[in-house]
Amino acid sequence: MLRIESLALLQFKNYSDRVFKTPERVIGICGLNGIGKTNLLDAIHYLCFTKSYFSRQDATSVQQGKTGFRIEGQVVLQDKPEKAVCVLRENGKKEFSINGQAYDKFSQHIGRYPCVVIAPDDASLITGSSEERRKFLDSLLSQLDAGYLQQLIVYTKVLQQRNSLLKSFAETGQKDLSLLEVIDQQLIPAGEYVFNKRKEFLVSFLPAVKHAYLDIARQQEELHLFYESELLRAEFPELLRATRQKDLLSQRTATGPHRDDIEISMGKMLFRNIASQGQRKSLLFALKLAEMDVLQQEKHFPPLLLLDDVFEKLDEERIANLLEKVCIKNEGQVFITDTNKERLTLQLEKLGVAFGMIGL
Amino acid sequence: MQFSSSLLENAVNEFAKLPGIGKKTALRLVLHLLKQDPGDVHHFSEVMSRMRSEIKFCQRCFNVADGDICSICANSMRKSEMICIVENIRDVIAIESTQQFNGVYHVLGGVISPLDGIGPDQLTIEALIHRIEKEQTAELIFALNPTIQGDTTIYYIQKKLGTAPSANATPLRITTIARGIAFGGELEYADEMTLARSLQNRLPVDKYVSR
Ligand SMILES: Nc1ncnc2c1ncn2[C@@H]1O[C@H](COP(=O)(O)OP(=O)(O)OP(=O)(O)O)[C@@H](O)[C@H]1O
Ligand SMILES: [Mg+2]
Ligand SMILES: [Zn+2]
Repeated sequence: MLRIESLALLQFKNYSDRVFKTPERVIGICGLNGIGKTNLLDAIHYLCFTKSYFSRQDATSVQQGKTGFRIEGQVVLQDKPEKAVCVLRENGKKEFSINGQAYDKFSQHIGRYPCVVIAPDDASLITGSSEERRKFLDSLLSQLDAGYLQQLIVYTKVLQQRNSLLKSFAETGQKDLSLLEVIDQQLIPAGEYVFNKRKEFLVSFLPAVKHAYLDIARQQEELHLFYESELLRAEFPELLRATRQKDLLSQRTATGPHRDDIEISMGKMLFRNIASQGQRKSLLFALKLAEMDVLQQEKHFPPLLLLDDVFEKLDEERIANLLEKVCIKNEGQVFITDTNKERLTLQLEKLGVAFGMIGL
Repeated sequence: MQFSSSLLENAVNEFAKLPGIGKKTALRLVLHLLKQDPGDVHHFSEVMSRMRSEIKFCQRCFNVADGDICSICANSMRKSEMICIVENIRDVIAIESTQQFNGVYHVLGGVISPLDGIGPDQLTIEALIHRIEKEQTAELIFALNPTIQGDTTIYYIQKKLGTAPSANATPLRITTIARGIAFGGELEYADEMTLARSLQNRLPVDKYVSR
């Protein structure tokens, strides 16, 4: 089991110095717009992923006018209490430690506290570019498999080196092709590892998403999800050889798993082009619920669930349906925000689970 | 900071340019020098300026030297057929202090990283290849930081050596220091024990690939 017992925030976003007790399995967080509900969830996200869900820069999470922040969580993991601390120092250096033991690399922490976020902006996962879906896939696989994250980091770094090299060829007019070959030799094993893991994983994951979708939407639709990668059609070294001339001209790497996508279609049309808002929302929940299931299966305990404003635009019946899925059928700790305290309290009471309520 | 003397201020500003030294520390150092005998301070500044103007880089290995050839290359007790390839002079100092290595060095001056604008031409790779062709080199030991760029540099040099027409008939043995050091770690921060062990357990390059 994984549970956050309490959370202490110092100079984090709108919180100067606050402690929240969160011993219950279901925690409601309510308050008006702009009061800091999402910020509180983001602090939990920091403890799980060592970074913000929203911003790439840690500095944006520091309270205005201050330098540095601290997030401290009292956590219970598999019946053992531990203290997780994320500190951003005055000099901008971030440290992350468990019981005072600092990690050498943040990637070592990923997967220790599995966590699923459902937030309003996540609709871009369905409607946005392929990058959004790769990010989702990478975050999930990284939590399942530390080796995946390691190889993904290697792949990304080597790819950056390769693109810089292609640029420098164009700038200097000199092409050191042996260096390009050496870099390709480093890119290939990492890229193949990433591709194979994605392929292997999606074989069972995509049907699970589809199943969850049909369950939520409660209608029969012709939904297709499939993994799209150039590596499905040819070996990576071959692909790199074939695009080399193009790469030299465009100064970018035109092939590889950094261009993968999960394609979703309804009938013969792209889902994102024709789906209604409700259908998109249903698919988003389906992806996240399937993520929750697979994390639970692999970790043998359920992940933390962070639900931000999920009730907006959902009817009573769907709210009840969703809450039952995430609070009753799922036994992990759940954090739910809402602007309406009465609505949230009523819904949770109806479920009959013990819950805590943080009024901001 | 307010100074009543611009001489003092200039001195503080110069010290503060050094890495890891802030204004406060700079002031402390300058005030310390001020308490010293003028002759001592003169000696201090002369040592510094002679160090900078007279120091040379070894024509063979690019280590710092007093003359054209450094004291390590000039030492006939050392095995010149065994070359340890390092990124910079600090790494030479680190390995020397383990007292485990009796060969000679080659200082690359960095590692290949197109992202940072460093290609093979900015390093002493060309000179290394010539050196190996000319000298009777039996073994190359790569002692580079275990990073992606370190790997790129190793593979690149290996590739260049594979294609270069070699004068010596005996095959060149190419090894890297064992990875006792954490991936992403830095050589200069490793303790002497770890470094010494890594040198003893060096590995052939083909067993070394970071997978
Ligand atoms: N770095 C920061 N320093 C100070 N305040 C910040 C910082 N970052 C965000 N805030 C403040 O936090 C508030 C937003 O908090 P948050 O997004 O958590 O609100 P919310 O309760 O989720 O609102 P909504 O119901 O609209 O989603 C804003 O008032 C914003 O000014
Ligand atoms: Mg919010
Ligand atoms: Zn020398």
